[in-house]
Amino acid sequence: MNRREFGTLTAAALAVGGPFKAFADETCQSPYMPKITGQEEFVYVWTLGVEGMGDEQDKLVTIDLRPGSDTRGQVINSLSVGGRNEAHHGGFSADRRYFWTGGLDTNRIFIFDVHSDPANPTLHKTIDTFVKDSGGVVGPHTFFALPGSMMISGLSNDADHGGRTALVEYNDSGDYVATYWMPTQDDMQGAAAIGDAVADGYGYDIRALIRKNVMLTSSFTGWSNYMMDFGQMLQDTEAMKRFGNTVVQWDLHTRQPKKVFNVPGAPLEIRFPWGPNANWAYTTTALTSQLWLIYEDEDGEWQAKAVADIGDPASIPLPVDISIAADDQTLWINSFMDGKTRLFDISDPHNPHQIYEKVIDRQVNMVSQSWDGKRVYFSSSLLANWDKKGADDVQYLRAYNWDGTELVEDFNIDFYALNLGRAHIMRFGSAALYTS
Amino acid sequence: MRILPVIALLAGVGLSGGLAWGFLKPDRPAPFSSVIPARAEFQFEPPAPGSYRLNHIKPAPDGRVLDTDGHAQTLADLTKGKITLVSFVYLMCGDVNGCPLAMSTLFELHDASAQLPGLNRDVQLMTISFDPERDTVEAIHAFAYPILSDTAARDKFGWHVLTTGGMADLQPILDGYGQVIDRSTDQDQISHLLRLYLVDRSGQIRNVYGLGTIDPRLLMTDIETLLMEERQP
Repeated sequence: MNRREFGTLTAAALAVGGPFKAFADETCQSPYMPKITGQEEFVYVWTLGVEGMGDEQDKLVTIDLRPGSDTRGQVINSLSVGGRNEAHHGGFSADRRYFWTGGLDTNRIFIFDVHSDPANPTLHKTIDTFVKDSGGVVGPHTFFALPGSMMISGLSNDADHGGRTALVEYNDSGDYVATYWMPTQDDMQGAAAIGDAVADGYGYDIRALIRKNVMLTSSFTGWSNYMMDFGQMLQDTEAMKRFGNTVVQWDLHTRQPKKVFNVPGAPLEIRFPWGPNANWAYTTTALTSQLWLIYEDEDGEWQAKAVADIGDPASIPLPVDISIAADDQTLWINSFMDGKTRLFDISDPHNPHQIYEKVIDRQVNMVSQSWDGKRVYFSSSLLANWDKKGADDVQYLRAYNWDGTELVEDFNIDFYALNLGRAHIMRFGSAALYTS
Repeated sequence: MRILPVIALLAGVGLSGGLAWGFLKPDRPAPFSSVIPARAEFQFEPPAPGSYRLNHIKPAPDGRVLDTDGHAQTLADLTKGKITLVSFVYLMCGDVNGCPLAMSTLFELHDASAQLPGLNRDVQLMTISFDPERDTVEAIHAFAYPILSDTAARDKFGWHVLTTGGMADLQPILDGYGQVIDRSTDQDQISHLLRLYLVDRSGQIRNVYGLGTIDPRLLMTDIETLLMEERQP
């Protein structure tokens, strides 16, 4: 999609009006849900509690982003959930009324009501039976909204706490529906291994291209690694072998795996573009520091190939979160170890190249941008046991304005100074989504 | 009570749906979706019917509704023993990605069903208004005129066009299905996410469709998959 096509798309989205009618996104959400195409009013930060800090509990932190508000750039609500769960990722329901979040250690799922009072979310429901419901899946990670249900990727299992895992589906009421185990070399479930791919059964992210009926999943590592001290793990040769090396293509409608691609080095976040004719997705590999393109070729077959390095792979910058612009022209890529964000020109998805970089801080993990790309937000925590130690363990939400050439800091919230904890995933909210 | 089309006679002879379908097995195009042309916006071929399983998502709610003659009905009675595609619409809806799209999809299925002899013994359509104040019995009766007056209706899916006596009756139905609506401040528009629900004969919601997945071929494939499931021991 070029800029002209994007302009037409945006105009069409805005023309239909109404909070549930915009079909575009603040760029990285499930395409099924209503989107904030204007000013985001709040950012919700799923935050890990820290022993000896504040109430020590995981919490959903709400920050005011409303222009002109007396509390803009400040924490206006903090809702603790009781205990520490290794808070990690989350996603809205397809109607965007509820924010589902997961704990990678306790396997608890917290569903917050964000529509009744978007400035002050409340805890609507807690699911304590994820492992039992799913038949042994551990580590609820990505929450990808589908009409009437929520697809959740696991990271591990309760048999060996390794990386073999599954997708788990719940209905919108929070009741269990089904489990779909990842294909493995011993049980391909009808999927084909492409090239030298070896189906490892690992999981991480979920994204879908609806009009192609394609769903992709990526692969990280199991509980025994993500709960281990990072430095200790790096010295553990056997532990370092236990990372995913695959991306799986699924039939979205039937939930059946179709292809297993070899994408070595723990492919993490997956992002599809928005263009009406763009049939591809990006993912980045944490350990090998590469940008990978998963794309449909001229024969209608999906393929995978590495298309760029991210920084110097030899120094292991550890690419983490990515965020695609709504016009499909640029991609933000964060790397945890060097604390950098890099902007890639992806106007030719087969030949992306870096056009900008900036150090955000001593560590950086998540990145979220507004629909128009003018506001970019960063947060700091990767995993409780993987975050840096001592003075390098900075924890923040930081807001920037992007003028097309430079990130200019707007405000910075120090999560440690406020006794909140480790700031992880960010999601935007707005009262304008709910008109009742 | 007016049932669209008039299929009460067939229903009354005691042939439960699955048995009727398996017993009569009329010649029909295979797969069923082959009678529906592909739309440009759905860039994939539907899976083979029966090659996958449809989940039991949750029970469809019961509730009190009014038909086009103003007769009070219950959803449980209307859906009992039939596979039903349910959608919520309102007559004043002007969102091209809302009710008009849902209705065009249902009409496409309705028309296509004429090419699938006898399938209307097993499958029916249902639209429920979420604007009971304006979508009165008289209003939905007028709206249903093209369906009521269709001379080929006997060969097509039955279609229940329904409203309710008010929000007190409607809200539990919306909540049960998970259909969210928001009234705008001028009350003229009701914002909503387009949803279609596939309900099996036993009243279980087996699939939920939204914008991007309401491919009529896919809906027909799911219907055929449910029928094949019923034939399995």
